[in-house]
Amino acid sequence: MIKAENLWKSYPMRRDRPGFKEFVINAPKFLKDNNNRFWALRGVSFEVKKGESLGIIGRNGAGKSTLLTLLLGVAQPTEGSVTISGKKTPLLELGAGFHPDLTGIENIIINGVLLGYTEHEVRDRMNSIIAFSELGEFINMPIRTYSSGMVMRLAFSIAIHTSPEVLLIDEILAVGDESFKKKSGKALQELINGGVTTVYVSHSMDAIKKTCDRAIWLEQGEIRAQGESGFVVEEYLKAQGQA
Amino acid sequence: MRLNKKTRQQLDLLKLLIKKEITLRYKRTYLGFLWSLLNPILTGVVLFIAFNIFMRFEVENFALFVMAALFPWTWFSASVTMSSNVFTGNVSLIKKVIFPKQFLLLATVIAQLVNFIFSLPVLIGLVYFYGGSLTIEWLIGIPILILIQFAIVYGLVLVISVANAYFRDLEYLINVLISLLFWMTPIVYPLEAVPEAYQGILVMNPVTYLIQAWRDLFFNNTLNWNNISISLVTAAIVLIAGLLIFKKFEKRLDEVL
Repeated sequence: MIKAENLWKSYPMRRDRPGFKEFVINAPKFLKDNNNRFWALRGVSFEVKKGESLGIIGRNGAGKSTLLTLLLGVAQPTEGSVTISGKKTPLLELGAGFHPDLTGIENIIINGVLLGYTEHEVRDRMNSIIAFSELGEFINMPIRTYSSGMVMRLAFSIAIHTSPEVLLIDEILAVGDESFKKKSGKALQELINGGVTTVYVSHSMDAIKKTCDRAIWLEQGEIRAQGESGFVVEEYLKAQGQA
Repeated sequence: MRLNKKTRQQLDLLKLLIKKEITLRYKRTYLGFLWSLLNPILTGVVLFIAFNIFMRFEVENFALFVMAALFPWTWFSASVTMSSNVFTGNVSLIKKVIFPKQFLLLATVIAQLVNFIFSLPVLIGLVYFYGGSLTIEWLIGIPILILIQFAIVYGLVLVISVANAYFRDLEYLINVLISLLFWMTPIVYPLEAVPEAYQGILVMNPVTYLIQAWRDLFFNNTLNWNNISISLVTAAIVLIAGLLIFKKFEKRLDEVL
């Protein structure tokens, strides 16, 4: 279950740092402006029941990814609170912590442990991860020798083999070539249908309608609409058509 | 005792990060791990030539005298220098994966500690070369001083790594500061060689006591409890301050990276 209550999140305005000369000349101005903060989320609340899947849609910069980082817990809300029960698996950035000089197998271990498993548990799943990735002999090579598609395939294979209770997905389904894309989409779909609580950020309205029970439409850090996913997608598309 | 799964996983993670830090640094060089030994040794040779041969510094067994301080100093300075960009250089990890961020720092400091331990045989070789021998003090002193220095270095890197995320200028400043500290610490010269008027400045530098304690041990085979206890107090202060500062600023790290 996920419960987000009145989430606010602000970031310092990251304009380019002034050069030293400008800084000295205009010091009072720069120091004063330092208090400007950008509000990425403004009072967002929602609940996701166990086994439910929630889609999040909205234009670029609406606060979707910020929301996911708060749910994951890598960032703290400026105000409000997040409660999540269950083991979280992020599909935010595949292959975090991959190192080009390590082999596929070594990277599987380090990435798997980073995702919350013991080394022993990762080794137990090793064969099925390698099989899913279809990397064959390359698995013993340093991943700097991989194509970028191969790296993503490896990363996705690890992520899909963690047995999550809460899945946080940020638009990553397009992985590898056509056949792998199909396979990975199917595996993910099975996971979601299998009763995993899911929060799914995507720009693909079809995917949201197909995958999610409910959806939230974010705009400028606020919830513009929420409800049954087909309905929210319609509303969103209508508004985009007008704009 | 069986560890629970969470603890087991955290230990595995720390172990893997340390291993990665040690094995990857020189992965694509021919000499590999040897470089971590060669670096302080070659620096020592340079200092030996400059001070003992060119400048005729009047210190007995100068090579041992320098190495006894230089090896622990290398652990200190390498950890501090490397830690400054541990967070700024691992943005995707920090922003996308939940794990104790301080593990990256622990891995850096421990990897350097491992290098230091591997350099001890060189020191021991020098001791025998100059006709000395090991004493029981080494067995007592080494673990104590390692613990003390570990606390000091870890406390420092907690602050430096986070501070560099907020003020990236630090990354460039740190090399100058480290080099300043190097010359402000009696490493290549004995404290007594400094004119008395300036000794007061060196005495205010807490690293002086730590380095002196190491040299007392390696060069004179003595445990100087005066230097050790001052270092211990420094370690307690630096570690506690470091942990508190890190805890406070770590929460907002995602906003500045």
